[in-house]
Amino acid sequence: MVRQIKQTPMNWVERLYIFEAFRGLFTTLKHFLRGLFRYETLPTVPYPEIKPEIPRDYRAKHRLMLRPDGTPRCVACFMCATACPAHCIYIEAAPSVDGRIEKRAVRFDIDHLVCVFCGLCVEACPVDAIRMDTQDTSYVHRNREDFITPMYDLTAWDPKQYPQNDTQSQVAPGGSKNQQALEAWGLKVH
Amino acid sequence: MMEIINSKHWIEWLLIVAKFAFAFVPVLFILLLIPMERRGAGFIQDRQGPNRSYFWLPYFGRIRLFGWVQNACDGLKLFTKEIYAPNGVNKILFALAPAIPFVIVLISPCVIPWFAPMVFTMGDQVVRVSGNTVDSEVGILLLFGLSSLSAYGAVLAGWASKSKYSLLGGLRTSAMTISYEVCLGLSIMGMLLMVGSFRIDDIIAWQEAHVWGIVAQPIAFFCFLISMIAETGRAPFDVAEGEPELVAGFHTEYGAMQFGLFYMGEYSHIGINSILVACLFLGGYSVPFFSQTTIQANMGYSLAVLCGVFILLILTFLHMIYRYSRWYKTSAATNKTVILREYSLYKLLGWVAIPALAIIGVASALFIHPEFTLVDGKAVYGLGIAFGTALIQILVLLVKACFFCFVWIWVRWTLPRFRYDHVMNLGWKVILNIALVNLVITAVVAKLVLGGN
Amino acid sequence: MPHLPSSSSPLVTIKVDGKDVQVPGDTNLLEALQAVGIETPHICYHPYLPVSGNCRQCLVEVEGPRGMGLVISCYTPVKAGMVVATPASSQRVKSTRKAVSEFMLVNHPLDCPICDKAGECTLQKNYMEAGQNESRLRGEVGKHYHGNPDNEFVDSKGQTRGGKRVDLGPRVLLDEERCVQCDRCVRFMRHVAGDEQLQLAARSDHTYITTFPGEKLDHEYDLCVTDICPTGALTGKYFRFQQRVWMLSRTPSVSMDDSLGANIWIDHNEGHVWRLMPRCNPEVNRSWLSNTSRLAFEKFAENRLPASDIESVKLALQTQGKVALVAGGECTLEDIVALKMLKASLGDRAEIFVGSFRPVVAADGIAKSGDPVANRAGFKLLGLAADNLADLVKRASEFNTLMTINNDLWGDDANQAKALEGIENRITLAAFNTETAHKANVVFGVNHWSEVTGTMVNCNGILQKLSAAPTAPDAELIPTFQALSIFAGTPITEALEAFKVASKEVPVLLGLSYETIRSTGAKLDGVQA
Repeated sequence: MVRQIKQTPMNWVERLYIFEAFRGLFTTLKHFLRGLFRYETLPTVPYPEIKPEIPRDYRAKHRLMLRPDGTPRCVACFMCATACPAHCIYIEAAPSVDGRIEKRAVRFDIDHLVCVFCGLCVEACPVDAIRMDTQDTSYVHRNREDFITPMYDLTAWDPKQYPQNDTQSQVAPGGSKNQQALEAWGLKVH
Repeated sequence: MMEIINSKHWIEWLLIVAKFAFAFVPVLFILLLIPMERRGAGFIQDRQGPNRSYFWLPYFGRIRLFGWVQNACDGLKLFTKEIYAPNGVNKILFALAPAIPFVIVLISPCVIPWFAPMVFTMGDQVVRVSGNTVDSEVGILLLFGLSSLSAYGAVLAGWASKSKYSLLGGLRTSAMTISYEVCLGLSIMGMLLMVGSFRIDDIIAWQEAHVWGIVAQPIAFFCFLISMIAETGRAPFDVAEGEPELVAGFHTEYGAMQFGLFYMGEYSHIGINSILVACLFLGGYSVPFFSQTTIQANMGYSLAVLCGVFILLILTFLHMIYRYSRWYKTSAATNKTVILREYSLYKLLGWVAIPALAIIGVASALFIHPEFTLVDGKAVYGLGIAFGTALIQILVLLVKACFFCFVWIWVRWTLPRFRYDHVMNLGWKVILNIALVNLVITAVVAKLVLGGN
Repeated sequence: MPHLPSSSSPLVTIKVDGKDVQVPGDTNLLEALQAVGIETPHICYHPYLPVSGNCRQCLVEVEGPRGMGLVISCYTPVKAGMVVATPASSQRVKSTRKAVSEFMLVNHPLDCPICDKAGECTLQKNYMEAGQNESRLRGEVGKHYHGNPDNEFVDSKGQTRGGKRVDLGPRVLLDEERCVQCDRCVRFMRHVAGDEQLQLAARSDHTYITTFPGEKLDHEYDLCVTDICPTGALTGKYFRFQQRVWMLSRTPSVSMDDSLGANIWIDHNEGHVWRLMPRCNPEVNRSWLSNTSRLAFEKFAENRLPASDIESVKLALQTQGKVALVAGGECTLEDIVALKMLKASLGDRAEIFVGSFRPVVAADGIAKSGDPVANRAGFKLLGLAADNLADLVKRASEFNTLMTINNDLWGDDANQAKALEGIENRITLAAFNTETAHKANVVFGVNHWSEVTGTMVNCNGILQKLSAAPTAPDAELIPTFQALSIFAGTPITEALEAFKVASKEVPVLLGLSYETIRSTGAKLDGVQA
């Protein structure tokens, strides 16, 4: 949508500046008084103590989705690594031990120092195995190597932290729909 | 020697010496101005501002004083940093430059009247003590002169830094200060014309007798305020620093406490100028709606009202604290126990102060009954009443000055910086002319209405 | 086999899409159209296999007695005055090709993300060119494979699927549901390999590829079926899930395993060779590559000699007595030039011997000549006796110093090499830590032939170019010619310099440079192995 903004020339009152300056002063005064007397309504929050609300569709840290039996859903097709503009995904593939599945990843590392969080890997994934909906935005580590997140870290997420209508998360081990998923997969339900 | 000593009563000597302490009032303004500037800027920009530094108290834990501790941290940092100079500068001038503005702010307060001349009976003698350290006939001119000297600091710093940016900054400061000195002087002329004196005491007395300067000379007030901001070198006239083009202007090469001195000088300068504006246009130490005689005659009640005002302020503060506490209790903040523990100290202090002030107020209303002796048909009270009056007047003056301090900060975080040629245009082509016209009109009106000579 | 166009083909004029074009007249329509730049999608057709014409993907319209009719271009010979319509002018050809593509993909699984063929798959390419159809499968049924019933299974979505990992032999895996029954592999084994180990079984859409009962696919050229397979049905176990093909960089080179000099692509990524693929050269190896040459890359980075001190080799060469310089077949022309420079610097006490203790076997007529000395013709070209190793064995006692250059004497035949153990001062210049290197008292590691730029002359007298793949395990390693020239005291750092020296000596090389040698090599007149 193109919105045209017409610039109207300033009238003589505005050109005098002094009245406009007073208007500006009034605006800043409102903000100042809000901060002073309604401190808790400030839009900024003291960061580490109060975390900002991060929406689900924010491109945060990656996670690898899981099958009902707990194996990563990744089939090591390298689509994410191919799509990645920063070349931050390292995958090593191997034949799967599961008879129904051809290929699996034995190594899946994401270098979060290199990652640009563009989300192209999520778009590229043909099996919805990688997502960026963890709402985790702070990466603090002691050295560079720790920023390379290995597969066991990417798959270590808790289905309880994801909403009930997020079916793909809930069919993972520990999810509320795992039982149904196991039945659909023809796996034994304990 | 003894004649000089004997010419004044001992209490007079004591007060004269004590009044030197007023030299440090502008420096104390720094303590107010830095948190006001930093957190005020934060609030104006919808931020929090610095509020993390704290000191530790047993039981109450981390006391942050809403960011006031930041002052101490800043000072500590500036003091412990290494002082260095660029290669090949004149070390003496380089070190001297930051001292100039700071020395001037220590000298300037000498002509400011902090309270009305104290007249009281001491035994059988009537003692008169003026409200300023130097009771000069040309007080206002002296103040202007001292104030314009601070430009030397910037110019010297700019020259001594051996840096193009610094030199340009220094040149801009000198040009701008000289330009706005003219406007400053001319805009106050109308006021002086009506008063007929350069003595600040007289100006305040005239305002107390007639009407505040801001009402009598509104145009002069705005011209004076704008020129004052420009002369201090504060936004929107801080072209001498102008970081987009000059890095940091005249203090580009300064660090550590040398830089700190520049800043302390600037903030103290704001303090002095605020007091000056309050004196010239807001009636100085005069209490609005009450004359000095009324206050003196009803000193007990006056103190009671003062205590009441304090209690109201503390109640407002407590209200805010309770509201924050309630919000913190429900919020997801991980540090809420720490914050609530800190707030409990403020609550405790507040609830101790309110009854104490109430008792003092009631006691003073009940037990203070001023007694006076008539001297030349005027009631003259004792030492205690004179001190009480002076206290109230100092407080009133400081409140007015604080308001102007806020105006300085408020303007800085609202208006964008002027371009350098715009600054000079505004000074020479607009404010100077308005001030001149105002002077002429005032002269004519004063002649016609007041019928002076 | 289809008759392929060559430079001597007679030109005939045919009308393609309403325009007269000149095409080679002695070939089929598909090749003729390709010669004028019109690509025709095809699956079963392969230039070096007999035409089978079963995929119907290469349909074009040709005017016949009953008007324009659809014919398969791979099996239609070119005739002067033909009127041909391609998809550029005919909607009918376009929609028919699209329908053929859709038909072929009906039961083809959506395996592309995990299929090793993805990226170089004919089916993928054809889909992008001729297909692009929406799926018309009924969702509740999905794919319904009914080929080999032995390996069928029903997946969790209820679809009938074919066998995914059918073990055909020691090197090849079959994915039955990916197969489109083009029978290229069957024709390859039958007509090229000459050992019919694969066969199509059953009929119509039940057709599947299989071996004879109890037999395995096991042949020196069996990995070629993975190359010619247009889908990911036949895959080599060695490359299974190793890399995605689009991540590989390709360096054109020549296999120095034998004197045919099979043309290869060195496919490498991140400094590691992942596979060697045949590079089509009609005069040399066509599209084929033997398993020996193909799987040689697995050893390229293993057991390598490190770069070592130049001075120690120089010192060892300064000893008294005669020096035998024994060059192996992997030496490029540049290496030979440098070798001659070394001999010249050492004077009369040095003598060059060439050859290998490995026996020469008969050529197999596909992609191997059987001669282990790859650059034998090159040695001859530069005036060296190319097979005088037996001479060295006889006169071993004359020599004090033995310097082997890319020649694993002890590894090839320790019995014959035993005669050389009397030479006490032994220097080895090689890429690998071979048996000969174990015997040597001075070793010097150099670049392997896959890591150097150079030229070689194959047994048919074709000058072929090797390109350096950036896969050296150690950046300190230098090529053989550089090492030899340093020992000779006149360092050469660029291969082209050495080639220029050679072209000054040999008139047939005159006028050739690395730029003018074509990817299929340059035929040198009158040069024979």
